[in-house]
Amino acid sequence: MAKNLPKTGLISWLTSVDHKRIGVMYALGSLFFLIVGGIEAILMRTQLIAPNNTFLTGDLYNGLVTMHGTTMIFLVVMPLSAAFFNYLVPLMIGAPDVAFPRLNALSYWIWLFGACLLNTSYLVQQIPAVGWFAYANLTEKQFNPTHSVDYWVLGVQVVGLASLIAAINFFVTIINMRCKGMTLLKMPLFIWTTLVTQVLLILSLPVITVALIMLTFDRSFGTGFFNPGLGGQVVMWQHLFWIFGHPEVYILILPAMGIVSEILATFARKPLFGYTVMVYSSCAIGFLGFAVWAHHMFTTGLGPWATALFSAATMLIAVPTGVKIFNWISTLWGGKIRFTTASMFAISFVAMFTLGGLSGVMHSSPVIDTQHQASYFVVAHFHYVLYGGAVMGLFGGIFYWYPKITGRLMNEPLGKLQFWLYMVGFNVTFFPMHFLGLEGMPRRIYTYASDQNWNFWNFCATMGAYVTAVGGALFFINMFGSLKWGKKASADPWDGRTLEWSIPSPPPEYNFAKLPEVTQLDDWWHKKYTHDGKRLTPPQQPYVDPKSIHLPNQSFWPIVLAAGITTIASGFVAPANGVFVSLIGVALTVSASFGWAYEEP
Amino acid sequence: MQLPAFDEGKYNFFDVSWKAPMDTVSGITEWSRDINSVYSLTTIICTLVFFAVAIPLVITLVKFKQKPGDDSPPKQFHGNPTLEVLWTVIPVVLLIFIAVPTWRVLFKHSHVAEGSLEVEAIGHQWWWEFRYPQNGKIITASELHLPENTPVHFRVWSADVIHAFWIPKFGGKTDANPTSFAEDGSPTRWNEINVVTPLLADKTKIHGEMYQGQCTQLCGSSHALMRFNVVIHSKEEFDRWAKTAYTPPKVETTLAQAGEQVFARCQACHTIAGTPSEQIPGVKIGPNLTNFGNRKYLGAGTRLNTPENLAAWLREPSSIKPGSLMPAGLVNEEEIAQVSSYLRLATAKSY
Repeated sequence: MAKNLPKTGLISWLTSVDHKRIGVMYALGSLFFLIVGGIEAILMRTQLIAPNNTFLTGDLYNGLVTMHGTTMIFLVVMPLSAAFFNYLVPLMIGAPDVAFPRLNALSYWIWLFGACLLNTSYLVQQIPAVGWFAYANLTEKQFNPTHSVDYWVLGVQVVGLASLIAAINFFVTIINMRCKGMTLLKMPLFIWTTLVTQVLLILSLPVITVALIMLTFDRSFGTGFFNPGLGGQVVMWQHLFWIFGHPEVYILILPAMGIVSEILATFARKPLFGYTVMVYSSCAIGFLGFAVWAHHMFTTGLGPWATALFSAATMLIAVPTGVKIFNWISTLWGGKIRFTTASMFAISFVAMFTLGGLSGVMHSSPVIDTQHQASYFVVAHFHYVLYGGAVMGLFGGIFYWYPKITGRLMNEPLGKLQFWLYMVGFNVTFFPMHFLGLEGMPRRIYTYASDQNWNFWNFCATMGAYVTAVGGALFFINMFGSLKWGKKASADPWDGRTLEWSIPSPPPEYNFAKLPEVTQLDDWWHKKYTHDGKRLTPPQQPYVDPKSIHLPNQSFWPIVLAAGITTIASGFVAPANGVFVSLIGVALTVSASFGWAYEEP
Repeated sequence: MQLPAFDEGKYNFFDVSWKAPMDTVSGITEWSRDINSVYSLTTIICTLVFFAVAIPLVITLVKFKQKPGDDSPPKQFHGNPTLEVLWTVIPVVLLIFIAVPTWRVLFKHSHVAEGSLEVEAIGHQWWWEFRYPQNGKIITASELHLPENTPVHFRVWSADVIHAFWIPKFGGKTDANPTSFAEDGSPTRWNEINVVTPLLADKTKIHGEMYQGQCTQLCGSSHALMRFNVVIHSKEEFDRWAKTAYTPPKVETTLAQAGEQVFARCQACHTIAGTPSEQIPGVKIGPNLTNFGNRKYLGAGTRLNTPENLAAWLREPSSIKPGSLMPAGLVNEEEIAQVSSYLRLATAKSY
């Protein structure tokens, strides 16, 4: 059946195994959830605009806190990064597709269905209200008797499965499918940070998976892993969560670091400064990322020795990070910098990430952390890292690769306006949060008294959030408007350095008519310029008959299998007959697996 | 552990009047001042590093902006090993300057001082209970009383979910973790805070009359309303307070007498010392009300303890504290007046 599926229209998207289409679907899905998470943030900021505000109830606010964190991490930054992996990894390493195209489709559909499952909690008004790290034992049935926490547990479980599948796929792709001549140290830095990210995912996701299974057992089958009343341990959840949760921080930031490295090199028109050191520092960050989880737990009561050791490891991680920042500045130094929306976002990443990194150094001292932990100082810190850092980097990436994906450029004046609205809005929102934290405002409080001196900075923060929202609206107008009205883009509109710019925009389904061969880092640049800067005529893609290139067939099975897995999970939140729902899911999963296995490749 | 000397107390560059009752930078205990000194030092180092990044970045952006019409590529250079080693080594040196004072302060405050006053701080959804095991059976709620200039050893744990115990002007916080119990009902695990209470003379730094604290670990619906206050007494006054803190109420009016009858219905959850409510076995889920009349606030530090607020609380507790475990409609309007008289007047004691 697979051979006769249409190449255009809805069915072609549902059955696609093309990494580019899956990348686009990942991007659209995650940008949709960016709007959801953004609305959650705006609602929370509106509640905090004044003391003793009654715009939201405490339960709803706590729910929004949880959903905003979970959404932005699992449904925005991770899948938006995955969108870039999908679209770019094969193009940048000169491959026709990823190693396992159907698996790629599977991970997308699992992610989408898991995201929907999590957000179904809004529809049934059982919003999880336990924070994105869902500390036990608040998550136990005793304290949250409805299905609210189950939605969170199973949503994250299913979404995590998608990430794990994708991580194995990209790891294998990068290791096995590089074009001729592309040795590890000739890969673009984005590919390196992607590779490190996949290793982090493969090693850390199983831990959260196990923790979530234990929590599911506690909630559904009455075990007591995290219930002190039954001899369980609440601190064990914190260890398990943060052994995943801290590498997760680097999973969120490393892809953006790679994107920024590519953008800065292109728009300075120079190679990345200290490429080898950048590679090693990415690996060092990935390695040390597994040795610092307990710095989230400095107030948990670990005792002074464990605390001191984890603080030392945490401080060490500042070193490879600092190296990166100075190398980015040196990449710009001596260049001929073109200020486009993409490069402005990338430059702002360097500045904002530095601020977030430095407040991180402050928290690496456990004695300071006992004052800042769970205060707005921490809220300021991680938003500088993940929003000023990761999200700004990803926005830069969208502006940078949009012409490759669509064949049209995004509107630059509109993009720059969005950039400045974001810069102003972001800093007006989050810089005052440092002051709020120093003034003792705890995070995750839905209301505060008027005599705490927190009124003014909270008002500022809310205003900043509104400014950002305007910027966000401009982005979506720009993104969709440019599809129709954007200037036509050439194959290489930015004078790029990496292989994706050597093929047409948008790329044909088979990517490369002839798989490339490379001899050095930034090979495409060196095909365009001699060493003393004289222009060369780069080689054109040869004409081939598209029918002569074998591509993997479209398949229905990934979406069916994803639906089966999500149905199994849905059984745990079903109001009644959950076992039957899960059994239907099992049947669907098993039959889809057989269909998949016996399908013609 | 012996670390090089670091004169902690002297480096509090940010000790300014912030006019925030819970600010973290104008501490009044040795511990909070030590933390602030590490914070001050770290902030200065981090600020310098920020400028060491920002200034070169801005210079680069201005100096190397592409000139209009200049389309030729710049010189392609790949790195500079000397520079790269330099900006690997300098951060390591700076981090040592942060690490050593950090560890010094960390270990300095990790032991229990001799002659410490023992206080158990127990988190409940959503209020704090305080017990004084050395002073008989004193149990109070949401208002912590301490003598001045005395080492205090807090044992912090929780009766339900994780909370966090924090008095910002005293110093850092610690989590209140739920625990299992030994046969005699004492907790098997707790976290500690060791702090020497401030002098009464430091009262200038109190915003209002009391120090303030708040739970900082998301613990359910009314996490935001889990506040408490700290009253510092002279040592003599504290001793007098401790003597009255477990005496029975003085029921002097008929209204209060009627209130006493009404309170009999409350004793499954609440205790008042010297009344039959003490005889009810088991862990009470509501706060101890022995000295309720003396408390400035009700509802875990959220409302002033006035007759109007108490009546509003008794009518519908969740209107003040959403999710409160105390149900609405336990008492009618007449009974509210009676029990209010009993709670506010009969339990108020002079000391």
